[in-house]
Order: sequence, then structure tokens, then C-alpha cells
Amino acid sequence: MKSTSIAVIGIFALLVILVLLLPQSTKQQMQGALFQWISPILRTGASVGHELGGVRGGLKRLDELERENEQLKSENEQLSAANSLLKNLESEVSRLNRALRFREQSPVKLIPARIISRESATWWNTCTIGCGSKDGVAPDMAVVTESGLVGKVTTVGKDVSVVLLVSDESLRVSVSIEGTQEQGIVSGTRASSTYAPDLRIRFLSKTAKLQPGMKVLTAGAGGVFPSGLVIGTVKDFSAKALEGIATVTPAVDLADIQDVFVIIRQQ
Amino acid sequence: MIPFFLSLVVLIFGSFVFQFFLPPVLLLSGAAILFAPPLYFYGCLSLPFPLMLALTFITGLLNDLFMVPQAKGHADYTAGVSILVYLVPGLIMHGFKPLFLRHRWELHWLLAEISAALTPFILVAQYAILSIERTNFFFNDVIVWRILGPGLISLLIAPCVFFILTPLSHVLGYRPGLPLAR
Repeated sequence: MKSTSIAVIGIFALLVILVLLLPQSTKQQMQGALFQWISPILRTGASVGHELGGVRGGLKRLDELERENEQLKSENEQLSAANSLLKNLESEVSRLNRALRFREQSPVKLIPARIISRESATWWNTCTIGCGSKDGVAPDMAVVTESGLVGKVTTVGKDVSVVLLVSDESLRVSVSIEGTQEQGIVSGTRASSTYAPDLRIRFLSKTAKLQPGMKVLTAGAGGVFPSGLVIGTVKDFSAKALEGIATVTPAVDLADIQDVFVIIRQQ
Repeated sequence: MIPFFLSLVVLIFGSFVFQFFLPPVLLLSGAAILFAPPLYFYGCLSLPFPLMLALTFITGLLNDLFMVPQAKGHADYTAGVSILVYLVPGLIMHGFKPLFLRHRWELHWLLAEISAALTPFILVAQYAILSIERTNFFFNDVIVWRILGPGLISLLIAPCVFFILTPLSHVLGYRPGLPLAR
């Protein structure tokens, strides 16, 4: 082997070791800076996607109205289109009203944010939101909607943040089941064929009397998630050799979220 | 050579950004469409060894910074691990360089398909590392599709990438194994 090749391999190995030994906070900062750098592209892509989604939504509504027209056999197409547009606006207004009411009634400080991209990584479930350190967002802050828990912030840029979704296997949240003394740890799945997979609660007692439909709430242990946030509802329960395991349907439709809130915690 | 290397780096960076806008293929149980591996493998075939290592370093690091959430405290897949994950198939592809330098389209096509076949290796390695870290190793049909799916998609993408990059390298004045253009 040539001496230059040996030198090159040596430098490469040194650089790899250096990167692997970097502190996790430095890697978080690197990731934050990278996402901050590409945030204009992500924002532009998100707004284009939003526009296209609006067009698709409009067409879908037209389809529905067409079916109505067939049933009623009285409305003309122009009127249906106008109705469709108004319905679109109405649902947008009611969605924003719900979000506003939730923000006003909440006892904690909430920062609103829009989801600007949804990563399609193979083994991780994350999304990028359009607020960051300049809004007071920091790592490990909880992200919610009016329906319940979405996930937690992992990386923060100036005006962009990466959120680890509750459907990811690596996000573990201590939970309690409403109306019982049961507590456990909820986590997502490593790989699922859908955008919104069911979650799993482990470490429940084998004799737990859980019924489908019972609410699953954050227990507040660990200090990352405030207690009482809705995670979902119990779908089924099974007792294994050492523990009880429950399947949970998430309260938030992770496939269809657009607006979220970051719970700002005093540092 | 350097302009072509830099253009590959830009293309790999761009492919990671582009991936944010590509939804997973639900038909293949949510398999991702990956553009970075064929670009990287072309670099492994065409570039000299030192630049191939530099490309491995950049691609692996970018992969982790773009795709892996860097959680506070202990991360189960820390940024930088993918450099090693990319290195192994990269070295295999680099071994095929003499074949690549013959500049026959059918060999380039064959090498593109070999690179597609090596794409699942990256995902298997990532899955193995995650499973070891989380002390929970299991396989189901979704995981198998998540690993094999990108490879199947790459069977279509990789030849296109290869046949676009060859003229690009010539335009940028890099003609490995060929006489210099006048």
C-alpha cells in the first residue's frame, strides 16, 4: 500500500473518531444550524405543498358535492363549487378558532407553529416546525395540539425546530390511565406501514382492568411533559408473563397535523 | 476532478433536502425513496481513493444530520455512525472501479444495479445498530419492506443517475480512464 493511501486512511479514521466523540450538544447545534440553513427551502416547499393540498381538497369536495347533486338532482354545478369554497373557508376558520381557544384557555405558555416538513426517514418519525430559539423554544419541550400530545423538540435552530413524534419508538413517555391507578410507559413503533401507527403501553400491572376507550394521559414524571396531556385512548389490553401491555390509538391524527403548539417551560 | 467531486457533494446535499418532499411509498409499506446512495456509489466508482473517503465522510455525516433526531443526553444512533455504515458498501463499489473505467454502457448499467443491490445494506446496518442499542431485535414484513423497498426503487433510479452523471463528469473535465478531451 502506498504511503499516501496510509496517510489518507489515517486522516479519515481520525476525523471519524473526532466526529463520533463530539458531545451530543455539539451535534444538536450542528443539526440545528443545518436545518436553519435549509429552512427557506423547507418553508417554500411547505407553502407549495399547502397550495397543492388546497387544490386537492377542493377537488375532493367537488366530488362529494357531485354525489350530493346526484342524490338531490336539483343543484347546479356553479352553486356547488361556490358552496365548496365556502365550506373550505369555514373548516379553516373553525380549525383556527379551536386552536385559538385552546391557546387562550391553556394554563401554560404556548407558542404556535406550523409544520413545514414531515421527514420520510426509514427508522425515525420526525417533523420540522417553523419556530425556534428566537421564539423561546429549547430542546425537550413538549409539542401539542388541542387534541393531545404530538411529541417533543429535539433540535432547535433560530426559527426552525425538529420534533420527535410520539409515534417514534425512541420517545418514551410515562403515562397514567384515567380512572385507574395504573401507570406505564408509552412508546411508538420502529416501523409502521402507516403515518399514524398505534402506540404501546408497557410495564402495566398484569391485573390491570383496562377497557377500550379509556383515556391515556401523561403522568408528568421526568419533567419533560406536563401531567394531564391526552395521548390517546386504550384500544386493547393483554397480560403477558411479566407485565400488561396495552395498545393505544393516538389522540392526534399524526398523518394530518398542520398546526401545533410548543409548551414553553421556564429554563 | 475537484469540480466533479464538489458537484457530487452538492448533488448529495440536494438529494437529502429533496427527500423531505418525497412521501414514503405506502405500496411498499412506507419504504423511502433514496437518491443519495446511487450518487454516492457513482462517486465511489469514479473518484480516486482519497476523494472516495472524503465523499464517504460527507455523505455519512449529512445522512445523520438530516435524518436522525439528535436527542439530548444519550442518543441511540449518534451522528457520525453512518460514515462507517456507508464505508463498507462504498469500498465494495470502489473495488469495481477497473470495470467502471472500461466505459461500456452495459457495464455501467450492471454497476448501477449492483449499487442498487447494496442500498439495503445501509438500511440493514442502521437497523442492526438501532436494535442493539434498544436491545430489541425483531423482524416483521414492514421492516423487511423498509429495508428491501429502497433497493427495489434504486434498481430503477440508479441507472438513470449513472447515465446522467457520466456526461456531467465529462462536462466538468473529469474523464477517468479516457484520453483528455482536446
